[in-house]
Amino acid sequence: MKLVAIIDASVKLPELEDLTLYRSAASIPFAGRYRLIDFTLSNIVNSGISSVGVFPSYPFVSLMDHIGRGKSWDLDRRKDGLFFLPVSTKDSAQMSVGGFAALEEHMIFFEKSRQEYVVITNCFTVSQLDYEDMLESHIESGADITEAVSDGKSLRSYMLKKSLLIEFLRNYRQDQVFSVEDCVRRKKNGYEYGTYEYKGYFAIIDSIDSYFKASMELLEPEKRKSLFLPNRPIYTKVKDEPPTRYMKGSSVKHTLVANGSTIRGTVTDSIVSRAVVIRENTKVDHCIIMQKCTIEENCDLAYVIADKNVYIEAGTVLKGTKEEPIVLRKGERILKEEVG
Amino acid sequence: MNLKNKVVAMLLAGGQGSRLKSLTYNIAKPAIPFGGKYRIIDFPLSNCVNSEIHTVGVLTQYQPHMLHRYIGLGTPWDLDRRNGGVTMLTPYAEMDGIKWYNGTANAIYQNLTYLIEQDPEYVLILSGDHIYKMDYQKMLEFHKSHKADATISVIEVPWNEASRFGIMNTDAEMNITEFAEKPKKPESNLASMGVYIFNWQKLKKYLTIDNDIENSSHDFGKDIIPLMLEANEKLVAYPFKGYWKDVGTVESLWEANMDLLNPHSGLNLHDPGWRIFSSNRQLPPQVITETGELQEVFVNEGCIIEGKVEKSIIFQEVRIAQGATLYECVVMDSVVINSGAKLARTIIPPDLVIPENFEIGDPEGDIILLTQEIIDDWKGSAKV
Repeated sequence: MKLVAIIDASVKLPELEDLTLYRSAASIPFAGRYRLIDFTLSNIVNSGISSVGVFPSYPFVSLMDHIGRGKSWDLDRRKDGLFFLPVSTKDSAQMSVGGFAALEEHMIFFEKSRQEYVVITNCFTVSQLDYEDMLESHIESGADITEAVSDGKSLRSYMLKKSLLIEFLRNYRQDQVFSVEDCVRRKKNGYEYGTYEYKGYFAIIDSIDSYFKASMELLEPEKRKSLFLPNRPIYTKVKDEPPTRYMKGSSVKHTLVANGSTIRGTVTDSIVSRAVVIRENTKVDHCIIMQKCTIEENCDLAYVIADKNVYIEAGTVLKGTKEEPIVLRKGERILKEEVG
Repeated sequence: MNLKNKVVAMLLAGGQGSRLKSLTYNIAKPAIPFGGKYRIIDFPLSNCVNSEIHTVGVLTQYQPHMLHRYIGLGTPWDLDRRNGGVTMLTPYAEMDGIKWYNGTANAIYQNLTYLIEQDPEYVLILSGDHIYKMDYQKMLEFHKSHKADATISVIEVPWNEASRFGIMNTDAEMNITEFAEKPKKPESNLASMGVYIFNWQKLKKYLTIDNDIENSSHDFGKDIIPLMLEANEKLVAYPFKGYWKDVGTVESLWEANMDLLNPHSGLNLHDPGWRIFSSNRQLPPQVITETGELQEVFVNEGCIIEGKVEKSIIFQEVRIAQGATLYECVVMDSVVINSGAKLARTIIPPDLVIPENFEIGDPEGDIILLTQEIIDDWKGSAKV
């Protein structure tokens, strides 16, 4: 494979703040048992790429814990494999993909890699993008930089020769271009720009609204089938959870559930992550319940996003709306009196 | 672990389990799927790791491929280690020919070289046929405090069933006085669980003696234990309290699966303090559709449930169509159940496709192990 992949996980997504207080956007849980970066990493691996550099943003402990040496993606290799490339400046995060200042700090990674081409991508676009196919199109078109697009929207993934990237990294200060995306957007003179039209599932997760919408869309069979392709599986760090228990008196409809949960209540149109406990007489409707949440008896929840480890006291009523779901932050304890 | 107290576990996983019929035509009994995502062997392996025993020899003989591939380097159980870890021990060829394992004791005897290399203080003998959660360290402490040469774990069984088991007769201090294999008139209801701890030097001695006895069946229960009792070695019974089940028959395999659904059975897989580890597939979450109905059911990942399921265990990647009904079933991985099918008290082995309107089993009847032949016969008769 002639391609090395860069995942720029340092792009700032201010509208996702509630979910990124303790983690980078790359490790936001999605679809019950995944983190956002799983989709990008899996696409990379499913495209036959075996060398990946990840540029994380602070706080990245959660991301590091999740990807480790890349074992779950078969990227723990003697040759090539996964490289975690943090940068020295804490506020390296910026608004566009492929920031040169960050990449420059790891110039040696590019100089040492054997691959001729680089794809610079992000982890807030969930798709089944095939980088191998994109590379073919890139080479055929003769363009210097190719951008992946779909439905008139940019997927913010860019492909170019490694030698050109190194050239950018050497000259960006004097040229006043600050990222690959910046360069493409401004169509900087002297280069040919191409586009690669991707057809297939995609969702850009850059706000609570788009996060909620994309999550709910997974309940539609057609959408789900176009994201979970049997021959291009999505890999993640697997936990040893037992199967989920649907207890006597429970009712679960039109819902995605991960392993290790225990459900005694009524759940409709929702995404339930692993090791969640939903107790008797509790209603959960149009909610995203992340891992290890506990919802006690007699609660009534609608349009709620509960981040990891949220505890909801018995009898709590929480009603968000489709347009404005209520977000409960990681580890929050919701007491009945407080929401009154 | 202190090297002076080193324990090596020897896990006997060569059993054919012929009473499990078609389930073991192609795989050894310890590889049989259980509980929605596990294989039987996950239980003793996880028990070892949870008991901080990190050197495990797995002895295989019958249909070993599946088990070898499944266990691999032992990664899911954290047994991929530089020191110790898991070692697959199959019968091998020597100068004077290939020697198949002939009896449980003989299987260990043939791997004395492995044990000599490991040079443990204690050897823990396990079998790959049982569903249970057990802290072997507690048994080892018992073994040490009783200054025993061998300790055999026992469990109380109902008196009327005692004649189905290997029974240990003991004195008041739990010293074993006699081993009775399936006694017609049992004197005790303490059944051997097939879990033994031996002082390594004693084990070596008696395996070697037994090997030279011509008419020996080379079995731990029938030969080694009586041999040691005769020589006045100190053998004690360790009374285990907790869930334990030999899943040697279709009925008992079904029962053990159903026990998972009973909160009072003592078999709890949702205990984070004693996790059962297993090799995990990478599958999307399970989907329960608008028409899916689940009551008292275990479901693993990758399933799509559109039908009605009650009191059942559903393994990964199972599809249950709208209009299908299941009651007290064990549905193994990748099974497809088509619309209108109605199954009760049935174990459905992996990959079977249940045709539309197929009906089998009685909610109060016997346990059925479904096979492709049964389905083909049904199809044949339906055409007439």
